[in-house]
Amino acid sequence: MPDPALVTLTWRVVKRRLAASRAAIAAALLFPGLVALIGLRDSYAAGMKFFLFFFPHAFLVAAQDMVRTDIDGGALENVLFLAGRFRGFLRAKSLVLAAALGAYSAGLFALLAVWGAADGGFKPAYAIQFGLGLLAGLYYVALAGTLSYFLKAGSNAAAILLGQAAVVVALLFSVTSRTGFLDHAIAGRFPGPGPALLFGGLVAVLPNVIVSPKVSVFGAEVLAGLALALFVQGRLARRLELRK
Amino acid sequence: MIEAHRLSKRFGPVQALNDVSFKVRTGTITAMLGENGAGKTTALKIALGFLSQDAGAVTVGPGRVGYVPERPAYFPWLDGYGVLGLAAPAGNGGGPGSGPRVLAAARSLRFDPALLRRRPGAYSAGDAKKFAYLQNLALEPDLLVVDEPFAALDPPSIKCVREVFLAMKEAGGTVLLSSHMLAEMERIADSFIVLRRGAVIAHAGLREWRLLRSARPAPDLETVFLRLTGE
Repeated sequence: MPDPALVTLTWRVVKRRLAASRAAIAAALLFPGLVALIGLRDSYAAGMKFFLFFFPHAFLVAAQDMVRTDIDGGALENVLFLAGRFRGFLRAKSLVLAAALGAYSAGLFALLAVWGAADGGFKPAYAIQFGLGLLAGLYYVALAGTLSYFLKAGSNAAAILLGQAAVVVALLFSVTSRTGFLDHAIAGRFPGPGPALLFGGLVAVLPNVIVSPKVSVFGAEVLAGLALALFVQGRLARRLELRK
Repeated sequence: MIEAHRLSKRFGPVQALNDVSFKVRTGTITAMLGENGAGKTTALKIALGFLSQDAGAVTVGPGRVGYVPERPAYFPWLDGYGVLGLAAPAGNGGGPGSGPRVLAAARSLRFDPALLRRRPGAYSAGDAKKFAYLQNLALEPDLLVVDEPFAALDPPSIKCVREVFLAMKEAGGTVLLSSHMLAEMERIADSFIVLRRGAVIAHAGLREWRLLRSARPAPDLETVFLRLTGE
């Protein structure tokens, strides 16, 4: 259980970092604007689907630059982080970021739910999909946090986004075959373990897909990935030293 | 206040510390001396928990511990008030109406409080060092550990910092300094720990140092240090 004083300190650092980032503020304002635009121009359901698929990416954007820059920049060699508290700070950072982004996403979902209730388009299944999206967001924070022990600045998030781009290109190629991988994925039925494993690989890189009800069973894989990333991160934090 | 017992630390092929033991008594100013690469910073960082020792044990405290690194660095998105506010926003400078402790510490360090509105990354090296002292003094430590206490400071600031150390000692506090400035250390320290190539080669109180100086005709600490280190 993290030290509450350390979590408070971490929250102060993270809050001011997010508030100082114009890109983070612009993204936090643009995303709901885009959801509202789709909802108004197309339909409430289309706006909600767009929101459910893309809100986990807010976690990924916020999780860039989590560890290595703090270590190399020397900010952790401070009276605030004596007696190994820098390790607790780095662990608490994931927790605080996840909580902040969870609150942001829950706020947007609540607004969309009110809109849907007034419109008559809200379905209870959306709440389950939102929960799965939260799981994908937590996975992003854990994965990006683990990568951030090795990659400086925003390259942890950039590496994941590059992986996603590669997956999308690969999917485009699969469309050319008659019963391709994409068809199985859309149907949520895989003819054998090979395509299912392949889809599992896709989920590891693009966990947002688990919000689709047909493949939500892959949420178990994301949960396992989250636990593994947190375990690895914990080991890395325990062995971490400030040598500079 | 600090007791290190048989500390060892290796960085790849380099044995940074080898079986190092030392004590820092409560209410004293202790100077840790040594050439570049002698292991001073490694010993301090192990005592402060920034590094883990391969072998040995170290106990620190009881009481609040402060630390001023040789080259202080801060989160680049925080201004001076923001950094001070991380520890205790209400009392320690969480805004323009900063706490009296911060102002008193700023006065004692000749640090302009107007600088607190700017980010420490934009300070001069001397102001960044003084700001690190300010951050620590605001927390009222019982033990203050300082790596190169006078680095980047001008002579008036050196005088102020020296007075801060002496005032801390007078109030019952403990100070551990790692420095190359032997004349300054001889002026304020009560005891000395000399490291060479990762090992303690001398650990003595002021009286023993004076005896050592009289036994070997040596005019000052620098001469004793150079003889001990074989230079």
